[in-house]
Amino acid sequence: MAFLITVLASAQLLVQTPRASEHHVKAVFLFNFAQFVEWPAANTQDMRAPLIIGILGDDPFGSILDEIVRGERIGARPFEVRRYRQVADIEACNLVFISRSEVARIPQILEALRNRPILTVSEGNDFAKQGGMIQFVNDKNRIRLRVNLEAAQAVNLTISSKLLRVAEIVRPARR
Amino acid sequence: MALRDWPIKRKLTALLLLTSGLVLLLTSAAFVTYQVVTFRQTMRDNLSTRARLLAANSTASLAFANDADATEVLSALKSDPHMVAAALYDQNGHVFATYRADPAADIPATPQPDGYRFERGRLIGFAPVAQQENARLGTLYLASDTEAVSDALRLSGIIALAVLAIALLAAYALAAALQGRISAPVLVLAQTAAAVSEHQDYSVRAPKLGDDELGKLTDAFNQMLGRIEEQKQELQQYATELEQRVAERTRELEQSNEALRRNAAELAASNDELDAFAYSVSHDLRAPLRSIDGFSQVLLEDFAAQLGDAGRDSLQRVRAASQRMATLIDDLLKLARVARAEFRIERVDLSTLAREIVSDIQRATPDRHVDFAITPGLEAQGDSRLLRVVLDNLLRNGWKYTGRQLAPRVEFTAEDKNGGRVFLIRDNGAGFDMQYVDKLFGVFQRLHSAAEFEGTGVGLATVRRIISRHGGRIWAESAVDQGATFYFTL
Repeated sequence: MAFLITVLASAQLLVQTPRASEHHVKAVFLFNFAQFVEWPAANTQDMRAPLIIGILGDDPFGSILDEIVRGERIGARPFEVRRYRQVADIEACNLVFISRSEVARIPQILEALRNRPILTVSEGNDFAKQGGMIQFVNDKNRIRLRVNLEAAQAVNLTISSKLLRVAEIVRPARR
Repeated sequence: MALRDWPIKRKLTALLLLTSGLVLLLTSAAFVTYQVVTFRQTMRDNLSTRARLLAANSTASLAFANDADATEVLSALKSDPHMVAAALYDQNGHVFATYRADPAADIPATPQPDGYRFERGRLIGFAPVAQQENARLGTLYLASDTEAVSDALRLSGIIALAVLAIALLAAYALAAALQGRISAPVLVLAQTAAAVSEHQDYSVRAPKLGDDELGKLTDAFNQMLGRIEEQKQELQQYATELEQRVAERTRELEQSNEALRRNAAELAASNDELDAFAYSVSHDLRAPLRSIDGFSQVLLEDFAAQLGDAGRDSLQRVRAASQRMATLIDDLLKLARVARAEFRIERVDLSTLAREIVSDIQRATPDRHVDFAITPGLEAQGDSRLLRVVLDNLLRNGWKYTGRQLAPRVEFTAEDKNGGRVFLIRDNGAGFDMQYVDKLFGVFQRLHSAAEFEGTGVGLATVRRIISRHGGRIWAESAVDQGATFYFTL
């Protein structure tokens, strides 16, 4: 039975376009980030308040992210997926994925989100150098991570050393 | 050699060795057994701990699909030569990263349910990989061989054996050294005892080593030896004294014997002289007596008229006297003859002899009735002629001295006393005063006057001579007017 499911799952992955499976992986990563990141206490007044993953810009995930986080919890906190069109729309949010469609506006977005304890994740090149916290990097069919640790530390976000171990840590470009 | 015959040294050493050996063996056995019993659990615990550590380190690798990092994490296992293989599976059950100690080691293509089990000489396990209690990120597979624990077991077994061997050696050395405390006093005592009994030297004493029970034994032993020594000396003294006394007595005895022999020789000589004297005198005395008697008779017959009554009376008296003298001489002759006669031993029927004598007496004096009671079947070994003389004398005496009794009775019987036969002739006649019993058997000794009872006083002397020649004894008992009993043995 497990074998059958595995075969079907693999088949499904093969049927889907690489891009789709890439986003599936990224969606999983987004979900996993919640396990390796600690948000500062101020943002979690209620231990049972949902952990909100936001998508800024065009949503590349479709329903994948929703399915992945459905029914899951971190501790006692359930997940919630929100979609935003503009950065100003972002209110309570723990993790925000900045879509490719917003690449040009990254610096402004990051500026707007400065001092807010929100984990910023994106795909664009130089995202980490620009001040983004975690950047997805495509590397020979693998998704690698690039982490800007200082950006996270600036807003009191603690990134687990385990995550750091599997990631490439970069320093922001000195201005 | 039977256990009880072992020397004390060996016994003590064996005892100590056995005790310590047993204790060590039990301890080692318990220890090793415990290890064997728990080894599976130990292995499982070890593997599970390791798995959890590895899983915790692999969460990020799995979460972020970093197989390079995952492989690196697993490769840390190469530091443990007993880890055969390991693998990480992602959420979909695909192999994500592997580690193989031996390139040929096989890894399951898909993860099986969580848990640990022993399979084909290996311990394998599947553990979940998850960050804290969150969603499962994947599965960790570990396989180790069981050599670690076998090695450990073997090692502990070897150590146990080595410790056992060393401890036994130490115990042996200690036992050999310490058993002397107990055995030395015993051995010394045994040696002393052996020396004493071998050389019969009771002046030796055992040395006392310590004041315990063995010390007390040594004391008692020495005391015994002391007493034995004393007694030995005393005995020797007694023995010496005894020897002296015996020597003295022997000398005395020899002297007495010498004296006796001389006396006997003298007596024999005297008797011979006496017999010779009696014989010749009797003969010499006979002749004149014959003349006296003969011529008296001639006078009485031829000159009866001339003599007158007084003269005839006187001559009768002369004749009577000379006849009496002749009888006396005859008796003396008999006595002498008895001494010189031949002695022939044969079986003699005394009862028959006695009856013959009694019938002679009765024939000679039919008007005197005496009750003779003769026990039949009395026999003895001796000379029949001489024994006849004895019985004749004794029976006639009995007949004679009961002359004045109303119911005269003479008994001849025998008693068995002290293992010997005693013959006796008893009468109920006049008896005699025991005061004069010594004179009874003397020659010419008479305890009654001729007026009371006639006799020459030679008879009993003759009887005694005959009895002596037979090697017997004769004695008498009596009381005045109450009869007499004559006893004799042969």
